[in-house]
Formats: sequence, structure tokens, C-alpha cells
Amino acid sequence: MDKSPEEIPFHNRDQQNVLVMLEEAQYEAGCVSEARIAEVAESLDVSQSEVYGVATFYSFLSVKPLGRNVIRVCKSLPCYLKNSRMIIESIAAELGIKPGETTPDMKFSFELTNCIGGCDKAPAMLINSDVHGDLTPEKIAQILKSYD
Amino acid sequence: MPERRVILKNCGVIDPRRMETFLNNDGFKALTKALNEMTPDSVIETIKASGLRGRGGAGFPCGLKWELARKAPGDEKFVICNADEGEVGTFKDRYILENDPFSLIEGIAIAAYALGARQAYIYLRAEYHYLLELLTKAIAQTKEGGFLEHVDIQIREGAGAYVCGEESALMDSIEGKRGEVRYRPPFPPTQGLWEKPTVINNVETMMNIPQIVLNGADWFNQIGTDRSKGTKVFSVAGDVDRPGVYELEMGSQLKELVVDLAQAKKVKMLQIGGATGKIIPHTMMDTPLSFETILGAGAITVLDESRNIVDAVYHTMEFLAEESCGKCAPCREGTEALFGIMEKFNRGEGTERDIRHLEDLANAMMPSSLCGLGQAAPIPVVDSLQHFRSEYEDRIKQKQGGAAK
Amino acid sequence: MSKVKLTINGTQVSGREGMTILEVAQENGIDIPTLCYSPDLRPIGACRICVVEVEGSRLLVGSCHTPIAPEMVIQTHSPRVLEARKVILELLFGSHCGSCMLCNKANVCNLRSIAADLEVGLPRFQLRKRFHPIEDVSPYVQRDLTKCVLCWRCIRACQEIAKQSVYATGYRGFDSKVIVDCDVPLDKEVCRDCGICITYCPTGALTRPTKLGKEKPGKSLVITK
Repeated sequence: MDKSPEEIPFHNRDQQNVLVMLEEAQYEAGCVSEARIAEVAESLDVSQSEVYGVATFYSFLSVKPLGRNVIRVCKSLPCYLKNSRMIIESIAAELGIKPGETTPDMKFSFELTNCIGGCDKAPAMLINSDVHGDLTPEKIAQILKSYD
Repeated sequence: MPERRVILKNCGVIDPRRMETFLNNDGFKALTKALNEMTPDSVIETIKASGLRGRGGAGFPCGLKWELARKAPGDEKFVICNADEGEVGTFKDRYILENDPFSLIEGIAIAAYALGARQAYIYLRAEYHYLLELLTKAIAQTKEGGFLEHVDIQIREGAGAYVCGEESALMDSIEGKRGEVRYRPPFPPTQGLWEKPTVINNVETMMNIPQIVLNGADWFNQIGTDRSKGTKVFSVAGDVDRPGVYELEMGSQLKELVVDLAQAKKVKMLQIGGATGKIIPHTMMDTPLSFETILGAGAITVLDESRNIVDAVYHTMEFLAEESCGKCAPCREGTEALFGIMEKFNRGEGTERDIRHLEDLANAMMPSSLCGLGQAAPIPVVDSLQHFRSEYEDRIKQKQGGAAK
Repeated sequence: MSKVKLTINGTQVSGREGMTILEVAQENGIDIPTLCYSPDLRPIGACRICVVEVEGSRLLVGSCHTPIAPEMVIQTHSPRVLEARKVILELLFGSHCGSCMLCNKANVCNLRSIAADLEVGLPRFQLRKRFHPIEDVSPYVQRDLTKCVLCWRCIRACQEIAKQSVYATGYRGFDSKVIVDCDVPLDKEVCRDCGICITYCPTGALTRPTKLGKEKPGKSLVITK
């Protein structure tokens, strides 16, 4: 069995664009659809399995459609200590959905995430790419309203 | 020792959107000096002589890493700046990126010159997507200013994976793949990105480079302790009145940072170095912060007397089980098993046997896992059992005593 | 190639430069258990069953991917090594379906034979079981991922030997899984007359479909990627 590096094309450098293109799709369409995965695979000469494998590895990529705005509340220790649970509860109450769900009108998806590096203003969350810190349950309704 | 701002000296001073404010504060002087007055080898010698060690947590000598990559055969070499600050409780790199992107670019540019790399990458975590524009503009201004003729700096974004802060997973991620770790050797300085010689340095490490080149190795050498030179930037969060980013000389005491600066009160325990970091009781707060003692990447989460240790470890294990890449068996299955047992304790169903199982798992995972995540994942469990075993035992007793207690 | 002298389990042995610890051990009749390793495939060091103790190293090292070095002193069966191997196996069994009595592969299962050698019985650790429905769509390969131990051998065998890329790793951490396309049941015409992945599967996860007497009709040959 010849396993020399020349034999197996180990580095298809175009492959670096797999993640870049999936990220673009996520920011544009709010998800990485199967059609998009097939496109990426085709254009970069990478198998669909591999592209799907990348898409399901990273927590900010989603193969299921997400809402127009994605809320990611930090649940890691520093935010947990600052009562992130109350924030999670008040968002759930405000939107009527549980973490992991999307509102029926597709306006918000609600997710929990690991440390977002906002521990100095804990509890913190990301909505899309915006950081909201020093959260209190009272602030939630106002913040969500600004994403109308 | 009070705060000493060496690498944060521009933060809050310059306008991160305007390069001229950076130039007015000695900006790019170090790079100009390196390019015009120093050979690549003399830059590496200076970094080596300074004693600078990597700030990402492992503390590998920076100059040695550079030298290995420079001497590795091959024309194509890469510099990567690790801005995938994912460790729980750390935000110092975010603070640096927000306030002084130019010094970082300067550090990267010097590294590229020293190595002979024409391509550099900044790997920015997805959670910091909002910093992309600022960074991109800073690179563009630097380029326009004529400071980047020897190297192209590109930003690559992560997509939400803690393990990509691990250097081999980070390289796989830049290659467009799943961020899975690789076995070593080979190490990145000989075979890194696309199997080419690669130097990967943390944001904070890169920030030290211009200061060392500008002020000299001797100057840097005088700051800090015997084996930990320079300053260290810390992120302090949790039960403190003034959470934030602080820069202190290496060797400063933990209590100076946590009590004097961040104003913690009634401290019970500290988690040092994030999810995979050490857990220590308040009685050890006179420990100096250095590579010789305890340091990590500089994340310090403080828990006060009202907190429950089992609860904190449970949350930490949940994090690690979610973030294991899944490639190697001991970490993939082991973090899940550790989390499962901590969950039992959290429900009040833990037993003496579970404590033994936690220890058995730790003893096997720590030496056998493929990367630092699996190797360090049992640390919170091991440390909390060492210092706060009674809290585990109390939970067991409560269970046996039933509701009466 | 120059000779490298080293010590394994107290005995002086020698190997050629570039060989791995495992290769040298095997050449000298020392049996190190392996799961994700195959001499025909690129090593990935994923299962960690083959770890050994190297003097001067804080960590145990994977013998299937670590090259030998002069004067290395190696222990392949020290108590520390055996305990690590046992725990890893018990973890794999903890999440395994454990239906060995009903498994066609039982007598030739790598996982079981390693467990027998290490005297691993009932696992200490309780883990979630990975339940996946049996995939029997393909007339060429049947997949029962409940029995999969995530050694990644099928993925590499398909890529490196069959020169296809039917499989890849999907998801993350404990939820990792060997997937086909967008995680659909395997049904690929390229698998016709191949079955290389079946040969390399250490457990009963990949088998030839056993529909005796009425073989599923194959589809007409279409070349696809």
C-alpha cells in the first residue's frame, strides 16, 4: 500500500473556503441549508459528508432554519453566578419559547451558549453579533423590542 | 504591587479607529526598528533573551518557538495569532482587540519578519464577530501606511467551538475543516498549517513583541520573576465588585489582584485559568501569580461564601462535555461520564462510589487524552475533591439522611 | 536508514528511523492493543488504547503515531498504562449497546477481544447509549451505528483505500457520528463491489446485508461523486 503524500492529495487548499462559505451562508440566510451544502461541496471539490460534518461541528452554524434574530444567552459559570437563569426565564416568558426554539413568526431564535467573553458585564448575551451586558429581567423586553 | 500597564499602555489612550493616534504613541517604532536595524535572527535572539513565554496558558518559550519555525526547512511559513479566546471567564484579549488593534498587528508583523512568513492569520472567535470591522479597518490602515509590505494579514473567523483555541484544532479550522485536534509530534513550528512551519501565538503574547523589540530584552528581563518575565493581563469576574481587565507584574500575589483591585469580599474559592483551570480555596490567596505557581491564561473567576462548589464544578463539566471535539475516546466519553456523575451529585444522588469513579476517570483521562482539553478536563473535579471534599460528602449524607435533614 | 536503539519493557531493541513505537514493539513480539490503528491507514491517534509510558514524559503517548527516538525507555504494560486502557475500554462499553450475544461479529470483534485481554467486565461508568436505527437501505453495506465505537477507520479506509469519500465525521463531542451526506442512511452506488469499510470495522457496526436467498436488486451503475 503506497501511502506517500504525493499519492494522496492531502491538501486541497480550496477546502479552507468550506468554513468561510458556510459562515457567509449562516450570516446571510440564518442557516446552512442542504442545497447550500451541496453547492459548497461541488464548488470546492469536497464531499457533501465532509461539508455537513463541518456545518454540524460549529455551534454558530445551524443546519436548521433559525429566526431572523438569534439570541444567545451565556450560560457559563461567571454569568451563571450573576443569575443568568433569571435572564433565560424572562426571555422565555417574553417570547413564549424555550431555549433551542424559534418563535412561530421566525423573528427570534433563542439559544444558550458557552462563554462569550462578556464576563465583566455578566450576565451577558449576544443578539446576532451585538453584545448586551449587565442584564436584568427588567431590561429584556426593551432590548428585544429594539430588534423589531 | 500596583497595576503596571506595559502592554495595555495604549488601551484607553489611543483611538483604535485612527492609526495616527497610535503613531503618536510610539506606534510602529518597534516594527520599523526591526525591519531597518535588525536581522530576523537578531529579532529572534532578542525575544529569546527576553525570556518571554506564551500567554495562552502553556507558557512555552516564545523565542524558541520562533527559532524552531525559522530553522524548519521550507519556503512557505505562517504566523497565526490566536484570538479564539474561549476560556470561561476570560475577556482580556477582547479588551486588547477593542482598544489597541494596532499593537497586535505590529507584533504579528514583527513575527512574520523574524520567521520569513509572507502570510499571517488572525483567528477570531465567532463570539467576537462585532470586532471584525474594527480589526479589518486597522489592518487596512496599517497597510496603507506602508507597514505591511512584507506580509499579508488575513482574519479568519471561528464559528463557535472552544476547542479551536487549541493550536492544532485552530489550524484545522483555518484549513476549513472541523476543529479537531491532531496528535503531536509533529509540532506546528515544523509542520503546522498545511503541514508548513507555523508559529501560533496568543493575542497577549503578540502584544509583548513590540515592547520587547523597542525597549530591549534587558528591560523586559527586569520585570517579573525568575522564570516568568514581564507582566500578565488578567480577566477577573464572578463575585467581585470591580470585574475587569488588570495588568500586573508576574509574581504579584493573587490577593492583590482579586481583593485589592477587583474588590472581592468573603472569597470562598477561585477558579484560575477557566474551565480547565485550577480551583483553589481562599486560604491560598497569597500565592504569587507566575508560571512557576499558578497562572493559566489569566482568567480568574471568584466565588464567595454563598456559593456551592459542587454546583460550580457541575457547570464547568457541562461546558467541557459540550466542547469536547469528539475525536479521541477518553475525552469524548470521559467528559460525558464526568458530567453525568456531577449531575448525579447536583441532583443529590451521588454516592461514595461516584467519588471513586470521578477519581478513576481523572487518573486515566489526564495522561491519555489527545489534547489539553481532555488532559485538563478532570482538573476542576480533582481540585475540588482535594480542597472541598466535604461538600461532596455533605451531599451524600443529605441523601442518606433523607428529607429530615 | 539509520538504526535507533531503545528499551522496551527492560529489553534493548532497535528499530529504523521513522518507525513508530508500535511498529518496533510489534517487530519484537510485544503486543500492544489497538483499536483505531491499522497498518494500511494513516494513524490518527484517536482511541488512545495503544498508549504507552515513555520515561521523561508526563503524559502517556500514543504508540501508533509517536516516532521512536534514540535511548527512549518505554513501558507498554505498566500499571498506569493498563489502568488507562481499562478505563477507556470501560467508557467505550459504557456507551456501547452491549448486545454481544446477538451480534454476528461477536467472535471476531476487536473491542471484545481487547476487553478480554485486559480483563474488562462490566463497565464502571454509566453513560448514555448511542441509539441509532439500523441502516439497511444499501444492498452493499448495512450500518448499525449503535455498535460503532467511533474509531474512524471506515472513513479513512473509504478515503485512502477505496479512494472515495462516502463517510465523514459529523456533529461534535459525545454526539459525534459517522455520517453520509447530510446525515442520511447510506445508499451509494459507489459501494457496489467494494465493502472495504466493512473489512476495517472493528465491531459489528458495518456488515454485509444478510438477506439470504433474495438479494436486494442493485441499481444500474451510475458514476457519482
